[in-house]
Amino acid sequence: MENILTLMIFLPLVGALLIGIIRNPQASKIISLVFSFVTFLLSLVLLANFDFNKEGFQFVKKINWINSLGISYHVGIDGMALLLIVMTTFLFFCAFVWSWRIEDRVALYHALFLMLETACVGVFSALDFFLFYIFWEGMLIPMYFIIGFWGHERKVYAANKFFIYTFFGSLFLLLGLATIIVYGVVSKGVFTFDYITHLKYIDYPRWVELLAFLLFGIGFAVKVPMWPFHTWLPDAHVEAPTAGSMILAGVLLKMGTFGFVRYSLGLFPEASEFYIPLIFLLSVIAVIYAAMMAIAQTHIKRLIAYSSISHMGIVTLGTFALTEEGINGAIYMMIAHGLSSAALFMGAGFIYDRIHSYEIKNLGGLARYVPVFAVLFMISGLASIGLPGLAGFVAEFLVLLGTYKNHPVWAIIAGTGMILGAAYFLYMYKKVMLEEERISEAVREKWMKLRDVEIHHLIPFVMIIASAFLLGLYPYPFVKIIGHTSQLILGG
Amino acid sequence: MVFNINAVLPELILSAGILLIFFLDLIKERINLSILSLVGFIVCILSAISTFHVRYPASAFFNGFKVGSAELVAKMLIYLVTSLVFLALYDFYKRKGSEYGETVYIILTSALGLSFMLSSTNLAIIFVGLELSSISLYIAIALYRKNYFSKEGAYKYLVMGAVSTSMFAIGTAFVYLAIGTMNITSPQGFNPIISLGISFLIFALALKISSVPFHFWTPDAYAGAPTPVTAYVATVPKIGYYFLLAKLTLLLFPSFKEWYILVGVLAVITMFYGNITAYAQKSVKRLFAYSSIAHAGYFLTAFTSTDKFLMTSALFYVFVYSLATLGVFTILSILEKEEDWNNHFEEFKGLFYKRPFLAVNLALFLFALIGIPPMAMFVGKLGIFIGLVSKEMWILGFLFAVASLISAGYYLKLIVYMFLEKGEREVKAPVSVGEMLTLNTCSLLTLVFGIYPKPLFDIILRSI
Repeated sequence: MENILTLMIFLPLVGALLIGIIRNPQASKIISLVFSFVTFLLSLVLLANFDFNKEGFQFVKKINWINSLGISYHVGIDGMALLLIVMTTFLFFCAFVWSWRIEDRVALYHALFLMLETACVGVFSALDFFLFYIFWEGMLIPMYFIIGFWGHERKVYAANKFFIYTFFGSLFLLLGLATIIVYGVVSKGVFTFDYITHLKYIDYPRWVELLAFLLFGIGFAVKVPMWPFHTWLPDAHVEAPTAGSMILAGVLLKMGTFGFVRYSLGLFPEASEFYIPLIFLLSVIAVIYAAMMAIAQTHIKRLIAYSSISHMGIVTLGTFALTEEGINGAIYMMIAHGLSSAALFMGAGFIYDRIHSYEIKNLGGLARYVPVFAVLFMISGLASIGLPGLAGFVAEFLVLLGTYKNHPVWAIIAGTGMILGAAYFLYMYKKVMLEEERISEAVREKWMKLRDVEIHHLIPFVMIIASAFLLGLYPYPFVKIIGHTSQLILGG
Repeated sequence: MVFNINAVLPELILSAGILLIFFLDLIKERINLSILSLVGFIVCILSAISTFHVRYPASAFFNGFKVGSAELVAKMLIYLVTSLVFLALYDFYKRKGSEYGETVYIILTSALGLSFMLSSTNLAIIFVGLELSSISLYIAIALYRKNYFSKEGAYKYLVMGAVSTSMFAIGTAFVYLAIGTMNITSPQGFNPIISLGISFLIFALALKISSVPFHFWTPDAYAGAPTPVTAYVATVPKIGYYFLLAKLTLLLFPSFKEWYILVGVLAVITMFYGNITAYAQKSVKRLFAYSSIAHAGYFLTAFTSTDKFLMTSALFYVFVYSLATLGVFTILSILEKEEDWNNHFEEFKGLFYKRPFLAVNLALFLFALIGIPPMAMFVGKLGIFIGLVSKEMWILGFLFAVASLISAGYYLKLIVYMFLEKGEREVKAPVSVGEMLTLNTCSLLTLVFGIYPKPLFDIILRSI
């Protein structure tokens, strides 16, 4: 049982190697579908066997790796990591199904995505700082090339911006890691990169906590992204291919928020409390500012990208509310947003596939020509803005509840920001899907021949929407699993 | 024992090899460069193996020559990298019509000089070894038929190197004046004259490792030299110099209390100057010269303390850096076999679509140089970070992080040119068997030492 996690981490990598050896476009599609599906099934096995009454990390595997540096291969998961891993493998499978029709450098495309999957699963399951950092950085190179190779007009600019920003954050993270590891040596005489040892046995003095929190925080904030480190995200999303955006919004952003919950809250409880005002300020700015920016956009993908920033603001808000509901809500939001934003980006990608434009001014009245898609897109959007019955609602409700308990003023301000969320999506939907009078007669003729969703579009849409409904209508088991983590953090 | 033959075994094999190649070269009519470099390769491998058979600690020549574990490790690494250089060397010279057999034994002589330099605690003998190696380098750079720039680079290096020589000599003299011996065994008490001497020694070595403000020779020598020789100059001597620096830092430098300030300042200006100036380069070869200057700055940060962990990290870093750099220059030398190839950025456009093997390898080395895991240089960087933080040199660690962030931009520029742009120029340069071997070994080891650095790291840690 304890080897399943390791298997899941490296299975996609094996798939990537296999693709590298075979180098056949059609075969590489099948290989990645099979490998990602098996990985997804394995994650369901984890879910089935996870005992959420037992405290601490499960499916733990520890092997000595580099003794002289105190580094070991140490993996294991708690409730949050479990759900994120299930979501990750799920979204990767969806992304591969979606990419069924891709024609440009197929083998390389699939190999890079599989490598990315290894890095993502690895980040969520690593319990050793060194291992964590390797996976954290390991996602950089595949994503860089995914944006750079299959992006749109300004892909080089976006890829470079993505790389430099993320690398900037990572270096601070590295300095933070060095700080706490050195402190482990100084105070307890143990030279170790092990997360659990640091969590349980080493108490940092206040100044170390404050400093390390900032260093870690910059690393995570770039990835989340929090205002004012967010500017790479709209560019990266606009330029990335559809599947790249799905993974970027669905999984990669969660690495940052995951880092906040697991590392910042877990290791630096005092500092977390100290920095609450700062984090809240940045989160609320992100929620409101990004929502307003989203309303002002004319480019669908850029609009969705800003909505992501806004939602991530809600996650950080809930995380640092430091109440059980708040943290539960934040983690719930990670999952809900992962699903809904992936679906929205699929919608944007579908529109681009058909019309070859992301600009709202070139679109209008699409609902008449692609009715099935219109329904799917609507549900995805509603999931994103938090309609009751869909995943986003539970998350937003929990976050606001948790924040209101200790910080009512912040909760009220953020709550107003969430209303804006409904505005930008409905506004965009109205323009793109409904207002038929905005398009000319010639365009209408042309669009009469548009094909509605095909099977490889439909499968991921239906799967994601179904899970959004599941999370929205029956949150109990998920909250229970998530509670495993929040109790671990607040209790310890 | 006066003459301990076992202690000098690697050097003996190396010297015999040099003489053998010298004689083979004399009867050159029937023997071509590939055979000579094959012999050079075998000699290096034999010397590397022989380091395992040296019983240490041992001494020879009236204690003028001493070997301990650190020296043996350093020598082994030097011979191994040199052997890789030989594999990648012959095809380039053949196609450029510049088959000098001298190149092979000159490079071996340089390696011999480095091993003598490392095997002594006597500053005079260190000096002799250092000079033997440097003079060989000047010649190796100039040995390039009908190429003006190689002569210019060699001349510049010679003139600047002479400054280093004299600084080393006068530094030695001051140390002798202060403590009455040229044998360095442990740090002495504080004394203004020894401080002066140590400063001169630091400057002399700073010039050798191309630290700012003594770096002027580097871009010209790197760009002018025949590329396989650049591959050598940029890697092997660096390993030797840093091991020497480690030894001097442990045994001598603490006599000058403020030595770490001097080294720290050199490190900071070096890494920033190197990284910022690199952006202005249009030639890829010069870009890597500046990248090597910047790396000299990174490495120097580790020599601001006598902490063994910090030093081990730096030496590990230097070795894996050498592998990556050797790989980079091997790729450049393959490409240079093209007609009119100037190593201009424009020529790298779309390399991925023409020569995916070369482009992917170069990208691997570039990402390694940026310091992205799982490539080995990340481990070195991490070690230096931890070491600096544990010595409470926050500022140095922070500046290191900033400098390596700056560096990411120009490495990425090359990656963008190779992968994301399209170029018209055809690239047909053939890859010889030797170059293929070197390239694969370098990329493989860069990855392996990144994923499993334990053996190498432990060996270095225990030896120094």
